[in-house]
Amino acid sequence: MKLKTALLGAATAVALSGVTAQAERGADGHLNIIYWQAASILNPFLSGGTKDTEASSMVIEPLARYDEQGNMLPWLVDEIPTVANGGISEDLTTITWKLTPGIKWSDGSDFTAADVVFTGEYCMHPEGGCQQESKFAGVKNVEALDDLTVKITFDGPKPFPYAPFVGVESPIIQAAQFANCLGADAPNCTEANFGPHGTGPFRVTEFKANDVISYEANPHYRDPAKPAFATATFKGGGDAAAAARSVLETGEFDYAWNLQIDPTILTQMAGAGKGTVVSSFGTSVERLMVNLSNPDAALGDKRSTLEGGPHPFLTDPIVRTALSKAIDRALVSEVGYGAAGKPTCNVLPAPAIYASTANDACLGQDIAGANAMLEGAGWVKGADGIRAKDGVRLSILYQTSTNAVRQDTQALLKQWWSEIGVETELKNVDAGVFFGGDQSSPDTYQKLFADIEMYTNNFAGTDPEAYMGNWVCDEIPMPSNNWLGSNMPRYCDPAYDALAAKMGQTSALEERAELAKAMNDMLMQAGAMIPLVHRGDVSAHSNTLNGVKMNSWDSELWNVADWTRAD
Amino acid sequence: MLDATPRKLVEVRDLKMHFPIYAGILRKRVGEVKAVDGVSFDIFAGETLGLVGESGCGKSTCGRAILRLYDITDGSVKIDGAEIGDTPQGGLRKMRPTMQMVFQDPQASLNPRMTVEAIIGEPLMEHTDLSRDKRRDRVHELMDAVGLNRTFSNRYPHEFSGGQRQRIGIARALALNPKFIVCDEPIAALDVSIQAQVVNLLEDLQEKFDLTYLFISHDLSMVRHIADRVAVMYLGKVVELSPREALYAEPLHPYTKALLSAVPEPDPDMTTEDRVILQGDVPSPSNPPQGCNFCTRCPAVMDICHREDPEFREVQPGRFVACHHYNQTAGDTAASEDNKSIQQGETT
Amino acid sequence: MLNYTIRRLMFTIPVLLFISFIIFLLLDLAPNDPTGNLPMTIPPEVREKIRESLGLGQPIHVRYFKWCVQFFVNEPLNIIDQMFGTCTWGCEDRLRVQSWATRSPVVDLIVERMPQTLWVVGMSYVVGILIAIPIGVISAYRQYSWFDQAGTFVSMVGFSVPTFFTGVLMIVIFSVMIPTDSWFWFPSIYDTTHKVTDLASFGFQIRQMAMPVFVLALYNAAQISRFMRASMLDNLNQDYVRTARAKGMRERVVLLVHVLRNSLIPVVTVIALGVPQVFGGAIITEQVFKVNGLGQLLIIGIQGADIPLVQTLTFIFAVLIVLFNLIADILYGILDPRIRYD
Ligand SMILES: Nc1ncnc2c1ncn2[C@@H]1O[C@H](COP(=O)(O)OP(=O)(O)O)[C@@H](O)[C@H]1O
Ligand SMILES: [Mg+2]
Repeated sequence: MKLKTALLGAATAVALSGVTAQAERGADGHLNIIYWQAASILNPFLSGGTKDTEASSMVIEPLARYDEQGNMLPWLVDEIPTVANGGISEDLTTITWKLTPGIKWSDGSDFTAADVVFTGEYCMHPEGGCQQESKFAGVKNVEALDDLTVKITFDGPKPFPYAPFVGVESPIIQAAQFANCLGADAPNCTEANFGPHGTGPFRVTEFKANDVISYEANPHYRDPAKPAFATATFKGGGDAAAAARSVLETGEFDYAWNLQIDPTILTQMAGAGKGTVVSSFGTSVERLMVNLSNPDAALGDKRSTLEGGPHPFLTDPIVRTALSKAIDRALVSEVGYGAAGKPTCNVLPAPAIYASTANDACLGQDIAGANAMLEGAGWVKGADGIRAKDGVRLSILYQTSTNAVRQDTQALLKQWWSEIGVETELKNVDAGVFFGGDQSSPDTYQKLFADIEMYTNNFAGTDPEAYMGNWVCDEIPMPSNNWLGSNMPRYCDPAYDALAAKMGQTSALEERAELAKAMNDMLMQAGAMIPLVHRGDVSAHSNTLNGVKMNSWDSELWNVADWTRAD
Repeated sequence: MLDATPRKLVEVRDLKMHFPIYAGILRKRVGEVKAVDGVSFDIFAGETLGLVGESGCGKSTCGRAILRLYDITDGSVKIDGAEIGDTPQGGLRKMRPTMQMVFQDPQASLNPRMTVEAIIGEPLMEHTDLSRDKRRDRVHELMDAVGLNRTFSNRYPHEFSGGQRQRIGIARALALNPKFIVCDEPIAALDVSIQAQVVNLLEDLQEKFDLTYLFISHDLSMVRHIADRVAVMYLGKVVELSPREALYAEPLHPYTKALLSAVPEPDPDMTTEDRVILQGDVPSPSNPPQGCNFCTRCPAVMDICHREDPEFREVQPGRFVACHHYNQTAGDTAASEDNKSIQQGETT
Repeated sequence: MLNYTIRRLMFTIPVLLFISFIIFLLLDLAPNDPTGNLPMTIPPEVREKIRESLGLGQPIHVRYFKWCVQFFVNEPLNIIDQMFGTCTWGCEDRLRVQSWATRSPVVDLIVERMPQTLWVVGMSYVVGILIAIPIGVISAYRQYSWFDQAGTFVSMVGFSVPTFFTGVLMIVIFSVMIPTDSWFWFPSIYDTTHKVTDLASFGFQIRQMAMPVFVLALYNAAQISRFMRASMLDNLNQDYVRTARAKGMRERVVLLVHVLRNSLIPVVTVIALGVPQVFGGAIITEQVFKVNGLGQLLIIGIQGADIPLVQTLTFIFAVLIVLFNLIADILYGILDPRIRYD
């Protein structure tokens, strides 16, 4: 790889002597990217995995995307449609995008509204198994008004209509290439899935599934001076530590993604001086989900359901608050996440306009306070040091997925909780099973046959409406909906549901932010969830690579067209 | 053998073969197995010297050491006038054609992956420059000589019966016209019915090719049949060496007597009461007793036996023995008196 | 021998069918979900639809039957078509075994992985054998010499130190500590797109293979040299070796023709039995050096619950194991005249 880089570098240097490197497409030679999880496919509609969507983001693009601050940027359009500029109808049921004229596909053909319409049709096909289908939730119709105008009609008012065709997960694919790949035929179009035509800065020259992708600069890219790199490799395989090493220590690669490894090791590697560790914070929060229903095995089918009745002690807000108070979030974050984490008291910590400050008191650990609270509420310590009231002992089964950091966190919390007289039994479940959603397994995170569970969740893009909608009554997983639902705490408050409904009818950004904060605060004060760590993304880039803007709101490669080689 | 002056083909003097014993993690040398511990005898051209003794007494080791299949610890071996005791293995190769060996286990001693022709022909390739065809002819000749059907020359050893395999082994040994052959229990692994055939074959070949044999066996009656003289070994040493008739008629060494009395042959002169049954076990060759090796089991043991190792010397013309009974007086009467006391004292 | 081979092959067919069914059953019973690794932002209804679109809604016997048709009928037909450029019936919409993660035919993925696996894992096997045999021979011939002791130590190390340790150690030494422009610097990441076209690119191929091949060869050599040594020791004490010496053969001939040839019989069998592992790839070493061969394909398939991929790969491994068992038996029969199969 080194040799190739050197050769290419030399060749381009000769060809371009006297010209400033940044000003010319392909002037900077070869770019080496490593994603330790190899890309399986370049069609994000058939694989929602981050590795796949990001690999494809160098090739195919959405109409608008998010910058590193979480602001929406027009990408294949000239401006973002709003009610104010008439792009969104007054009744909030339609949005009209005007495409930038002159954009071409990498095969030289014109990019038109028909491609956008086709993409919608492709993903909304009932038999296609489109993994980004939720982006098109509520879309009634996508139509081309003319070659450069697309109108999306929703089946009701859509206050935040920026889900379809916005962000890394909803790019536009070429109608001509995928015409025969609709519905059940989608998986049979291997060639198209492995080498989609795109409007992005690169196009695929070779795709080896689960291994490596070779790109070259797209000759039809809209900005003739970009990308600076003539070719690029997107290598997969190995693990995060090896990827970090290849950028920070051996210098073989220019960019390594998702380096969730022991923070001290990462710092040590960065000490070699070849590369830089970068992080950014999106919406991921490692949190505890408190089961408000009764997980007692004796309940049989009614276990952990609303019908099974309330939890024997976690329904007491004092207990939930005490549990939260006993935690030193800063320490949890430091030990487990290093640069990739910071303590948080909100389940909705970002983007900044949505972040509440009402709950920040939880940042400080207060074991004495927690003890006092419990004492005051009548939870008194028994002979074994465990608090009890009316024969109910504070004994918690605390589950999470198998993962070294999570097990460390579990151990810390168990220690702190023991100091406030709460007994904790730890359990960890293989991630594949825990998150797998297998109906027959009792260990899924949805069934929550435990008192407390811990995992991270987030939302894509910047709009929290759908995310905050996770905790309405209808989202409670139960046997009748095959345990499909995301309201793990089984939290059910009509007031919360009302706020969620209101948000669904509000379009103005400031108002939406107020609503979201209010919902976050409700959840936090009810103690249905105990947030621990705001988790960021950590990547690393070579010191010879300029232009990286780490982005948690979109693809990390969102601005790869602007990346250049430092001299 | 008393006629004329027979030529000595093999002269063994004070031959010693000690195998080192290692033990411990670091494999330190902690002792040695004195498998052959000072053996001297001659073999005359054209004769068969029988070498008998209990299993484990060092017969095979002795036979192999004489042929220098081991690097011997000490002593001298002269074959056909040439001293080979200290010749390095490389130099020995050229002398190998003179001296050959027939092994006890015909199955194990033949390379399972070689055909009969290759097995017999290999030494020809190494030591002669016969053409391919000539070599084949010679192989066929040898097969005829040992009574093997020459059409079987392309078969592998496992396709033959035990007796046939031993014939292959013999043909192989004969290939280079040796003068001296060590037969290490060549019939022990064979069925009784076949043993006689092989022994007869060996006798015929001896006559035909003028061979000299060292015939190793634990079977006294077979040795009586084939050998001209017999050497008796006990715990790494030759205790008695006599012409056959004399040995069987009047054994001198107490051990020989015990051995002969144990032969299940119906002997009119010997009643069951006369049997000498040896007490105790054979001592370990790694830790032989002080004095005479046989002193721990000897029915006629004397004080001196525990102190001094008896000299191996000629007590009658042509008869050698290593026993203090013959050393003290050198008189025949004393010896025979002792013999009586032995037999009376230790009868069971 | 031919009859024997045919008889064995015939017996193999029901065995393999049975194996394929067991694998299918096991994979089906295992708690894994192809949508399990998707981001949490994908809601459960969509996951359910994805599973549906993968055919998971059908009962197990239907899915197994479909796989059988795809694997045993469609894939061979496809190979025939590709070889002769023909189009036997229904080549247009013939359903091949499709990977869920890549939505591409599994067999194509496997074919794509072959070169790096054979280059790296296969080469390490060959190198391992080439190192192991002389070491085994000399160690046995000079039993307990310092050479033997050193050999025992090295093979103990090669045997017991896991390849992820030796691999990373090599990377730290040869990719991190050695400066990049030094001749002793070796790439830590295998470039599967590299094509050998001339001497320089061949040189690069050798360099990028060097570390993974060494690590694996050490491991293989450790195993095989032990076998070789034991087998040589067995034979060195045999009477026929003494016979050969008594014949006055040169020591070299005794050792190489008599002892080595006989000792190789069991070793060759062991080597043949190890060949399926080559195809299985060395999962860990492939991961460490990012070789991305068959081993990595399998592990990704398992992690992503890509059942058709795992099913097909595992089954192919099963076929190879059964096949190489047969080959080992036949080799034994050819090499050892004492063995007859008729
Ligand atoms: N290679 C060897 N290493 C160590 N000890 C040996 C070796 N060969 C023979 N011995 C020992 O030497 C003694 C004599 O053995 P051997 O000559 O085979 O006896 P025999 O042929 O009379 O039965 C036995 O105690 C045997 O264990
Ligand atoms: Mg013996």
